[in-house]
Amino acid sequence: MRLLLLGNEAIAYGALASGLAVATAYPGTPSTEIVETLVEFRDRFVHWASNEKSAFELAYGAAVAGARSLTAMKHVGLNVAADPLHSAAYTGVEGGFVIVAADDPWMHSSQNEQDTRWYGVQAYVPVLEPSDPLEAYKYVKLAFDLSEKLRHPVILRSVTRVSHVRAPVEVEPPAPPKWGRFTRDVKRFNLVPANARELRKALVEKWEKIAELSADFITVEGSGDVFIVTTGVAYNYVKEALSRLRLDATVVKLGMSVPVPRSLRNLVGGEAVVVEEGDPVVEVQLRSLGVATRGKLDGYFPRYGELDTGKTALGLSKALGLPYSPPQPPKPPIEPTPRPPSLCPGCPHMATFYILRLATAGLSPVWSGDIGCYSLGINLGQQDLITHMGSSVGLGAGIAVAGKQFVVATVGDSTFYHAVIPQLIDVASKSIPLLIVVMDNAYTAMTGGQPSPSRAIPVEKITEALGLPTFVIDPVEVKKSVEVVKKAVEIVKSGRPAVVVSRRPCALVAVRKARRAGLQLPRYQVDPGRCTGCGLCYNLLRCSAIYRWPDGKAYVDPALCVGCGVCAEVCPFNAFKPEGRREAWLELWQQA
Amino acid sequence: MATSIVVVGVGGQGVLTLARWIGEASLSEGYDVRIAEVHGMSQRGGSVEVHVRFGKVVYAPIVEEGGADYVVALEAVEAVRAFKYLKPGEVLVVNKRVIQPPGRWISEEELLGSLQRSGVKTYIVPAADVARELGSVLYENAVMLGFLSQLLGLPMPPSLDDRNREAFRRGARLFV
Ligand code: SF4
Ligand code: SF4
Repeated sequence: MRLLLLGNEAIAYGALASGLAVATAYPGTPSTEIVETLVEFRDRFVHWASNEKSAFELAYGAAVAGARSLTAMKHVGLNVAADPLHSAAYTGVEGGFVIVAADDPWMHSSQNEQDTRWYGVQAYVPVLEPSDPLEAYKYVKLAFDLSEKLRHPVILRSVTRVSHVRAPVEVEPPAPPKWGRFTRDVKRFNLVPANARELRKALVEKWEKIAELSADFITVEGSGDVFIVTTGVAYNYVKEALSRLRLDATVVKLGMSVPVPRSLRNLVGGEAVVVEEGDPVVEVQLRSLGVATRGKLDGYFPRYGELDTGKTALGLSKALGLPYSPPQPPKPPIEPTPRPPSLCPGCPHMATFYILRLATAGLSPVWSGDIGCYSLGINLGQQDLITHMGSSVGLGAGIAVAGKQFVVATVGDSTFYHAVIPQLIDVASKSIPLLIVVMDNAYTAMTGGQPSPSRAIPVEKITEALGLPTFVIDPVEVKKSVEVVKKAVEIVKSGRPAVVVSRRPCALVAVRKARRAGLQLPRYQVDPGRCTGCGLCYNLLRCSAIYRWPDGKAYVDPALCVGCGVCAEVCPFNAFKPEGRREAWLELWQQA
Repeated sequence: MATSIVVVGVGGQGVLTLARWIGEASLSEGYDVRIAEVHGMSQRGGSVEVHVRFGKVVYAPIVEEGGADYVVALEAVEAVRAFKYLKPGEVLVVNKRVIQPPGRWISEEELLGSLQRSGVKTYIVPAADVARELGSVLYENAVMLGFLSQLLGLPMPPSLDDRNREAFRRGARLFV
């Protein structure tokens, strides 16, 4: 079967063909579609975990018991799972265990650029690096076999331009899942110092063996005395750059980029140009083998951003002293106007931010934000810090104890379960004054709407168990909610923490469900006779279905409005009028 | 040699689908294909940009600045933003539609006029209008696809449903 698959889908199909039994993940761009694809296969154990550490541990445990397992995450997610990753290398596994980490060079949807391959170096875990979806499919199978042969975890490193590239891939049918049974081995699986010391020695020896095996993953193409060592997606740019430069070179492609084999030194004759996506990970390893390299370390290729054919051709020409003039694109006729991503029309976060602004008027709070759709509150000036999953309550608490500022920590439900509960325990046990707002939309919405644990384990059950005063609001009821939030604000002003749970499912998910159910959504329109052009709806509420017409009045784009009715609650002049009824829709929406 | 196309528009317009259709059509002609999609942030009403490359063999999944044979825009402001991808002397295909970016109003005449006077070979396709005639602006990507099929010499991809087939045919007839 030949399918036009995303790299992530190819990884999923490769895992199925390898007899995958257990798959876990926490969603994160660009890794999400791997487990999203696997969820459909009911004969395996597939789980969206509360965070990457938990996901990692579940899959690691399954592999320890001999099952073939996979865990998938984005680069920064592997930081969360870094603790068990290092232990996994010490104990090894019984069944094949593949860790897929998807890097995001140039941060299309991430807070930093990070090269997962360093984790391979640091944790002594080999890294395979496919160059495209076809190879991604093939390499998953190789990774399972290698992992089982070595009884060692294996990292499959992807990048955005492998994970989110579609290519024709030949797919085999799934193989039956390979489950396992735990066999007791106390010296191996108990990392107390006496055992860990022995395992550490064994690990270092094993690493030498793995480095030799790494040579099996090398492919050599072309000819000529110029040696180009490359890996992963960079290989593709090298291929096209060579033909553009009309250059004959020997291209040495590393399928396993960590560790590199010692034999590489002889292969390239002690000198090579290195082209890789991300950090100079291969280059540093080559230098440690005594190879004279030209690559990122000396600035021939950029140390940030993504490669492309142009940058690769330019870098090669500089490194090799060849003439090259890059194409000169035409100038645009006018300056392009920015169009930043924004909250969807009717997004409950939009109303929650508005409510928070009214309820904290005059306090000029510090908005301690977090990772998720509500990060887009940055457009509203209501996200002052966003550094990593869980930063809202974590950093917010630090700011609150540092001075006398009023802090509002905004966090989504998925992030709440992922990274905020331990911080809340600290906030509660020290009674740190902080207004914690959990925007519970029941989904991990930013990555396309994976379910969060919010229905099964309501947020307020947890916060109340911690002794935190908790208020629940429905953000589409703007006026009522402002009064409730003010009560929470008073508690924080008196020097104690308080929690507001703002509950309404993601509008995107709800609209999809309504369409499927054949429900006609109400729509709102502006009565130009009543609208005074005060701008409250388009400047402060900022619903992205509402435009400012050139005369200053508001206009609702009927193709975008989802009929939440928040604008009607907000407008002081009663200018918004619904077409159709709202009750049934709000009801279905709350159940979405 | 591969043909490089940058497809742009606004989140929600079906940019990804249009790119995938071009990919399917080229695949059915026996070409190798790479489609570099964007996911996550850029889908929330922001700018969306997808790269499609097809040819006998394709390696690089993305198109560099100054490397596109075609820029296909489902929206005119995004056409301006993607201008930098055009190879000197190459072709811009733009849907006659403006989705106003936040905080600024740009007139359609000004925008399309400036594109036409830019010196780049520009096709302005009334895809949104045709789609509305067919019942929904949601068909504009299929109308554009029909137009492009004539320009690129590609067949109708097999996965279109009846309404999109009709939109495709209407788009193809717009090409003269
Ligand atoms: S996806 Fe859901 S949560 Fe995210 S902006 Fe859209 S409506 Fe809001
Ligand atoms: S009802 Fe008002 S606030 Fe809600 S989506 Fe429509 S225009 Fe926006």
